[in-house]
Parts: sequence; structure tokens; C-alpha cells
Amino acid sequence: MSDLIVPQQILDELIAHARELDPHECCGFLAGTGRTVTRAYRIKNIVGLEGAAQAASFDEAKIRHLSRLSPEERAEIAFIMDAQEMFQAVKDMRKNGLTLQVVYHSHPHDPARPSVTDIKIANDWEENWSRLNLTLPVYLLISLMDKSRPDLRGYWIKQGTVSPAQITTV
Amino acid sequence: MIKVRIPTPLRPLTKGRGEVEAQASSIAHMIDTLNEAHPGLKDRLCDETGELRRFVNIYVNEEDIRFLKGKETSLNDGDEVSIVPAIAGG
Repeated sequence: MSDLIVPQQILDELIAHARELDPHECCGFLAGTGRTVTRAYRIKNIVGLEGAAQAASFDEAKIRHLSRLSPEERAEIAFIMDAQEMFQAVKDMRKNGLTLQVVYHSHPHDPARPSVTDIKIANDWEENWSRLNLTLPVYLLISLMDKSRPDLRGYWIKQGTVSPAQITTV
Repeated sequence: MIKVRIPTPLRPLTKGRGEVEAQASSIAHMIDTLNEAHPGLKDRLCDETGELRRFVNIYVNEEDIRFLKGKETSLNDGDEVSIVPAIAGG
């Protein structure tokens, strides 16, 4: 059984988002009802903002690495979701009776697999989802390594274990 | 008394503690009170105009304070406040 049913049009929107921001990482949410995704929400990547990397749950090595880069360069290897825009998205989901189902982001230069940083932060967030009355999302990666053939893959990240999520396209 | 969950990146300011307590009547009051006990914390949560930074979430019990009254959200004895960094990745 599929974990998620995603219209091709929405996957196309994600690819368009990733390509628009390439070589920077894009990020956002998918939401819908039950297992069916009906909407994408683009969220601004604010990793370039002063002080943002130090506040995020990156490990020390990643923070040191990011601090040596320009804001533009930081956005090529990391993302931080604008919390204000996340709030607006969640507000819209509530208004429309939608559930947050997917956290997505792009890897402009790397495969569609969660990085060590992705897994660490997903672990940190695991307890937050239930505390906030939200269900554990699927993490969706969009790789632009092959620019002509973007690769999209979904994963569950539970208790440090990564497993593929079954996504059916309609 | 209010329980406040402190995320890992801010724990160097709370001597490594993941949970601290505060006596406060609102989020703004809580931030000021915590900053007295743990100097530097306010600067990590609020910008120079005093607004909540865009890479920080604060939840009272299960609700984002942006859905409530922001920093003016009132607090009651027994409330649990969670400071949560924005979703991020690499």
C-alpha cells in the first residue's frame, strides 16, 4: 500500500521550485487529506540570514563549515525554513482542513538521499511532531545532480532509521 | 511555574540543561526572566527590534505563539513552553 498518493502536477511543481532556486536548496511542505496530497507550500530558505545557522540544530562541524561560506554558498548545501512562513502554511492548512504530510527540500549537487544533517535534524524534530499534534511527515528529496532528469524520493526517518516511503503518482 | 524546553543549540547558555523553569506571566516576560538567569538567550530568540527571529519557533503547550498573541501570549502556572529551532537540513 502506498504511503502517499501525489498528483504528477504537484511533483512537477516541486521540480520547478528546485530548478528555480538551483544551485540553492529549496524547501517546503506538501499537505492533503488522508494519504492524498493536494497542495504544495513553498517555504523560504533562510540559511543565509545572519545568525540562522548558529540557531539551527546543525552539528558543530556543519556550523563551522557554514560559517566559512557566504550566504549564497550556504544555501547551496543547507536549508533553514522560515518559521514565519511555516506558520502561514500551517495556518492555511488548518483553514482548509489539510494535514501536513511531507517536508521536502532539494539537493542541487547530491543524490536524493537524506544527508547526515537531514537525519540528525529529522531525529530532533521527531518528538516535536507529536507534541504539536502533527503526524510524522515523509521527507521528500529532489536531486538535481542530473539536471535533465530530476530524481524525487521519499523517506521515513524514525528513531534514526531511514526507510523508503512508497509514493504513488497519479 | 512554567517549564521551558531548551533546544540543543541554546543549551550552552543554560549550562547544558534541556529544561529550565521560569516564573512569568507572558512569553515576553519569560524571555526577559530567562535572559537574567542565562544571559545571551534573548539575543538568540529576538532580533534588535524585539521581534521573534525567523528561525525560531516558540510553542505554548501545543500551539505556536504566532497563532496566539505572539510575545504577548499570557502564561499560566503549569504551562509548558517549547523553544524549537526552525526545520532545517543539509
